[in-house]
Amino acid sequence: MSQETGPALEIAGLTKRFGDKVAVDAIDLAVPKGSFFGLVGQNGAGKTTTLSMAVGLLRPDGGSARIFGRDVWAEPAKAKALVGVLPDGLAMPERLTGREVLTYLGLLRGMPRDVVDQRAEELLAVLELDSAERTLVIEYSTGMRKKIGLATALLHAPRLLMLDEPFEAVDPVSAATIKTILRGFVAAGGSIVLSSHVMALVEQLCDHVGVVDDGKVVAAGPLDAVRGARTLEETFVGLVGGERAGMGKELSWLSN
Amino acid sequence: MAVELTMAQMKLAVMRHAYRGQRAQTAGTGATIGVVLAAGTAYLGYLSPDYLAAGLAVWLLGWMLGPVFMGGGDETLRPEYFAMLGISPRRLAAGLLTASFVGVAPLVSLAALAGLIVAGTRVGVVNTLVAVPAMLLQLAVFVLLSKISVAVVGVALRSRIGAIAAGVINGVILSSLGQIWVFMIAFGVSGTPAVVWYLPSAWGLLAVRGQWWALAALAALVLLLLGLWAALLGRRAGRPRVSGRGRRPIAASTAAGAVVAKELRTWSRDLVRNHQLAFSLAYGLWFAASPLVIGWNGMLPYAGPIFIVMAAGMASNLYGTDGTALWLTMMSPGATDVRGRQLAWVATQGAIAIVLTVVCTAIVGGPWPLVLALLPALLGGAAGLVPLVSVYALVPATDPHRRSGNPLRTSEDEGGLTGLAYLMLALVLVTGVPAGLAAHWLGWVGVPIGLATGALCYWLFGRLAEDRLRTHGPELLDIMRTGRKPVTATSMRRFEELSAVQKNVAGVGFGLGAIPLFPQGIVALGFVLAGRTDMSWFLATYLPGPWNSVVAIAFILLGIGLYGSALWVLRKRPEPDRISA
Repeated sequence: MSQETGPALEIAGLTKRFGDKVAVDAIDLAVPKGSFFGLVGQNGAGKTTTLSMAVGLLRPDGGSARIFGRDVWAEPAKAKALVGVLPDGLAMPERLTGREVLTYLGLLRGMPRDVVDQRAEELLAVLELDSAERTLVIEYSTGMRKKIGLATALLHAPRLLMLDEPFEAVDPVSAATIKTILRGFVAAGGSIVLSSHVMALVEQLCDHVGVVDDGKVVAAGPLDAVRGARTLEETFVGLVGGERAGMGKELSWLSN
Repeated sequence: MAVELTMAQMKLAVMRHAYRGQRAQTAGTGATIGVVLAAGTAYLGYLSPDYLAAGLAVWLLGWMLGPVFMGGGDETLRPEYFAMLGISPRRLAAGLLTASFVGVAPLVSLAALAGLIVAGTRVGVVNTLVAVPAMLLQLAVFVLLSKISVAVVGVALRSRIGAIAAGVINGVILSSLGQIWVFMIAFGVSGTPAVVWYLPSAWGLLAVRGQWWALAALAALVLLLLGLWAALLGRRAGRPRVSGRGRRPIAASTAAGAVVAKELRTWSRDLVRNHQLAFSLAYGLWFAASPLVIGWNGMLPYAGPIFIVMAAGMASNLYGTDGTALWLTMMSPGATDVRGRQLAWVATQGAIAIVLTVVCTAIVGGPWPLVLALLPALLGGAAGLVPLVSVYALVPATDPHRRSGNPLRTSEDEGGLTGLAYLMLALVLVTGVPAGLAAHWLGWVGVPIGLATGALCYWLFGRLAEDRLRTHGPELLDIMRTGRKPVTATSMRRFEELSAVQKNVAGVGFGLGAIPLFPQGIVALGFVLAGRTDMSWFLATYLPGPWNSVVAIAFILLGIGLYGSALWVLRKRPEPDRISA
């Protein structure tokens, strides 16, 4: 595709401060085209902040983000057309049904009505949301919210998917469906960045991994290069756990 | 007492964190206004028991109606937090009540209730001592009635019919208060209506004045209300359910059409919006129709315009109430939803306003030029101001799927919401002024002027809102996500640098300047010039000419002076001056 030049996502020196705290500290990251990239880190490590800045939802204090060579902040329209985003915990048009959300969003993106209808039908069927035709999004369970969010990210056939904790609260059957969809997307040449703190999931799905700790990237590259002979969990704990005080301790009144 | 004290400490801890930056300023301004009003109420205790009884009745109504009108009342500690602790409903209610006493509003009310002590000192020593428990019980009654009215409306908002009924009742009550002079004339009441002595707000005063039984009655009432509230707390669980009926498919095929379709569905499906619409309609209609009681139909044609102004006030935080859903618009390249929202606003509220105006004016037989000039001017003005104000002065709201069991509670910053609503009321009124004046002086010429200013406001303000969303989208999303406005605005920083005296001058000037300038100044002068006398709370209308004009003009000057001194204190200073200050 002619509009795809350079890496799927290239982050350079991205920085964000909240008051005195540096949440993201000059992060550099490159996600090769066609890769399934797992971004792992502890709670509060800066994963969500980084992803938000990389797609244009949060203004960085410094640095840049490019999607297939398009600067997210200088050429937002071109960059955003290439990316599908699933943020964690943000609101939707809550008083619409799932199908209405997809119709509304497809039209908002300027897609032809018949294409929107056909894709919405397929997405709802595959993600098993079509049985909830009368349910408004505000009445959805957490897992259903994730699924409709994923559907909105996929609707416009993006070339890069940025997914923040896509499997959280999703039941195992739906998770298997989503994994199949995501693998198919990568097999067809798409690129995915997925954040998670479930190491087994990242190992199972991703071919590249980046470890974020305290607002910095402490390791990044192909999965096998990062984890070496160990499991990803062992590598991760070794990288970010270190000698933290609380690790491995039991609770005095619950053990023995 | 352990539960009660712990909850009070929790409330204090939350408040310490919440009142920072801009919210501290809002709270400070609110507290300043409250303290002035409280001092005024306490002074009524010195003037006459009748006045104090009336004043306390107003405080009671404020406690009961204020949170229903805007913000849903204090929810710092939500009952849901304690659901798994196995506390009995009554104990929970007692704990939450104790925590409710911690806060700015209860403290200010307690200051107002010091009027009971003032009234007591004018009778005797025992009476003064009785005033102390009476104050506390009276405050408990205020707080409990406030909680109960919010809880009752919350239960009503579970169903569409309940939402509409509650809106109509609130609209009728609030507009009746605004038009109280009509009913006083109708019932031949002069001075303080006797009914204020029967309201629970006067029981404390009755006790202080020697009717000791009233103190026992007050204590019994507190226990009764506590039981009632505990019962209502049990009904709060779960959010309102919408019926599972079939949905109209979206028929639109363009981006703008999709936004209109989404907004129209939200207007019809969101029960809080149903409630607000019913409230605005009832308010406009009842406000305009109530003078019919005394045989005056001159206000009836303005039901539509009043409805528009009130509906705009209710929608003043349009973007805030949708919460972080803004991210979807931001991620859709080239998409804007301001125009769609404007169209949907005109389609829902405009249709009602037009029917209301035409029917009411036809009944009276005029004045057609004036109402037909005001209608497009206000409608366009409101449709332009609603998106503009809600993006420029966004009050962060709780995302719809994260709200508590209290559907009225859309934001943690009810002071900000209330201020925004009043700002919107004032601004929408201003957009009607050119057309209104033109129609008043020149007749039908006002209609094209109204159409022109309405169209201009709709187009221009909508455009400004669009620009703001495009340039400040990430910042607005951040405010909604974190619930906190960043203290980076230069005026805010300047405010922080002021001395305590200067801060008070600025706070009082901005907080109270409107009262002398608008109701006691400009509006009163209007009544004086129109030859009306003895108009409820417009002081100047009670005076003989030419003093009435002089007093009204003096109030206008006072208002300008208050705003002027506030602005002067906040003025930009050259850098060396600021460093040495």
